[in-house]
Amino acid sequence: MPTREDAPAGEAPAGGGADSRASLQTRRNHEAIARLADDLLPALIAKLASSGLGEIEVREGGWKARLRMPAVAAVPAARAAESHAAHGTARAAAGHSRTEDRDRRLRPEPEVVEEPGRVAAKSPAVGIYSPRRDLVVGMRVRAGDRIGSVNVLGVGQDVVSPVDGVVGSSLAEAGEAVEYGQDLVRIELPERIPATEPGAPAQVAVAGKA
Amino acid sequence: MFTKILIANRGEIALRVLRACRTLGVGAVVAYSEADRDSLAAQLADEAICIGPADAKHSYLSAPAIISAAVVTGCDAIHPGYGFLSEDEGFADVVRAHDLAFIGPSAEVLERFASKEATRRLLGAQGLPTIPGSGMLRDEAHALEEAESIGYPVLIKPSAGGGGKGMRLVRTPRELESAFKVSRSEAKAGFGDDALYLEKYLDDTRHVEIQVAVDRFGNAIHMGDRDCSVQRRHQKIIEEAPSPALSDAARQELAERALRAVAAAGYENLGTLEFLVDSKGDAYFIEINCRVQVEHPITELLTGIDMVALQIRIAAGEPLGITQADVVPRGHAIEFRILAEDPAKDFRPQAGQVGAYLAPGGPGVRMDSHMYPGYDIPPYYDSLLGKLCVWAPDRNQAIARGDAALRELLVDGVVTNIDLHRAILANQVFIDGKVTTNLLDRVGSAPFVAAGNR
Repeated sequence: MPTREDAPAGEAPAGGGADSRASLQTRRNHEAIARLADDLLPALIAKLASSGLGEIEVREGGWKARLRMPAVAAVPAARAAESHAAHGTARAAAGHSRTEDRDRRLRPEPEVVEEPGRVAAKSPAVGIYSPRRDLVVGMRVRAGDRIGSVNVLGVGQDVVSPVDGVVGSSLAEAGEAVEYGQDLVRIELPERIPATEPGAPAQVAVAGKA
Repeated sequence: MFTKILIANRGEIALRVLRACRTLGVGAVVAYSEADRDSLAAQLADEAICIGPADAKHSYLSAPAIISAAVVTGCDAIHPGYGFLSEDEGFADVVRAHDLAFIGPSAEVLERFASKEATRRLLGAQGLPTIPGSGMLRDEAHALEEAESIGYPVLIKPSAGGGGKGMRLVRTPRELESAFKVSRSEAKAGFGDDALYLEKYLDDTRHVEIQVAVDRFGNAIHMGDRDCSVQRRHQKIIEEAPSPALSDAARQELAERALRAVAAAGYENLGTLEFLVDSKGDAYFIEINCRVQVEHPITELLTGIDMVALQIRIAAGEPLGITQADVVPRGHAIEFRILAEDPAKDFRPQAGQVGAYLAPGGPGVRMDSHMYPGYDIPPYYDSLLGKLCVWAPDRNQAIARGDAALRELLVDGVVTNIDLHRAILANQVFIDGKVTTNLLDRVGSAPFVAAGNR
């Protein structure tokens, strides 16, 4: 990833005065911030969400980014995400009304962040979904493991787990029409599973790989 | 009539088809790519389904994704819009194999008109004038003889070439003699085939097209002509109807000849026959478009016919329901393609978010657009943001209405070509109705851009 120091020195105007140097510096700062925001922050947010840590700080070139998750804010955010996810599922299922969706989008509200600590296996295509026969909640899966398939005009396309984790709730029924990118099965990240749940002890070993 | 139609396209045409479905009382499902999740058509539709990622190859150009979407949503027909798979005979065939209707000509008709060269021969045999040319040239003497009978200037064209590659313009026998050998060796080197032929070179041509509709029962109508001479690098920018290049008698004759030829050749559904018209007013057939055209609204403004609804009805096996006598074009209409392109920066396409957006209004003004305030223009597709169309009783009033509407049209947040349109409208060549297809490329857009900035 490029850092602040990578900006080509040749761009500085030869014999430029203090003003142009200052504006060049401002521009470089803006570029560095933009890079941090675009490339680094999404990754950091995901890391923070999955790690269970309270704070992450990263140094990059002359820049430093610090992310902190307030303990109390996490709960309402998770609830908002829950309703967001439920809404998304209703929309995605073929044949559902789009009216609410339109109202939501044409009168935009602030975006709700993804629910931390949870990811989903998504549909690779538009078609009819069937889960793997032996799929059960609590089953451990690795990134790339087959969760089920989507039948596209008679040809099955694999639904795979995007991460190492544990199978959570199903978001689509067997035989249901699903669209491309639709969330089908929740995959719980091992770190987020409370220690009281069955199978929890083994997850400690997996946690290091996440 | 169909019960539910899958709209397999995006942007303004997805919205246009959705509107036609609603007025026909037919259900509609908008198929969209991940990049178009927030598109206006997907939002306004009662039902919408994501068919794939932003890359059109895996969404709007993916036959399995589109057909699967139609099957799982219970559609009985697919509207392909324009571009993408709209003229793909293979797609039309697979759609039919899944017991779905393709809204357009049948696979057989699409196949018959798929090759430009074969279509020219086919419609030429039905009496349409095509650009005069020679057969394959044996040698230099043969070339000279053929050029003499075609009339200079002529183009030397490699048989294996395409898209204008390897063509050479010669204006005299002397130029032909010196260019012939070079062209032959270039063709050999470039295409592995040194076969050459000659074609008459048409200077300062106009692009005129005839709109036709043919149903399954052989009923056929034309809906007059359109002039699409305002082009930049073969991309139409402004279209108007009727064409200022033709007299009323000439336009009538051309439309009737086109309709007779295409109906005799077994065409079906909406179609557009494109012609080049030279400075003498002679029209030469170049190609046929087997789909709804971007510029169809100006014909709708002139005739009052909902062409997309007509297209759907024909595909559903209904008769036209109107005769030629019912088609009475009135007044003059102009379409401005509003593009997210920066004319000052070599028309570079713009992506980004539309800030404020205000569509113009008033008598005879129509705006077909998928824009809304806050719309993120995805960088993956074409730059068409919408089509501003105006109608008035005559051409001068249409120009005045066009200018007033362009002044009213507000698109914030991205650079557009709105000012370029105003500059073209104010240009004397346009006012005189004398724009030729090469004008913008010959004089460049810079004078227009500069005029627009004043």
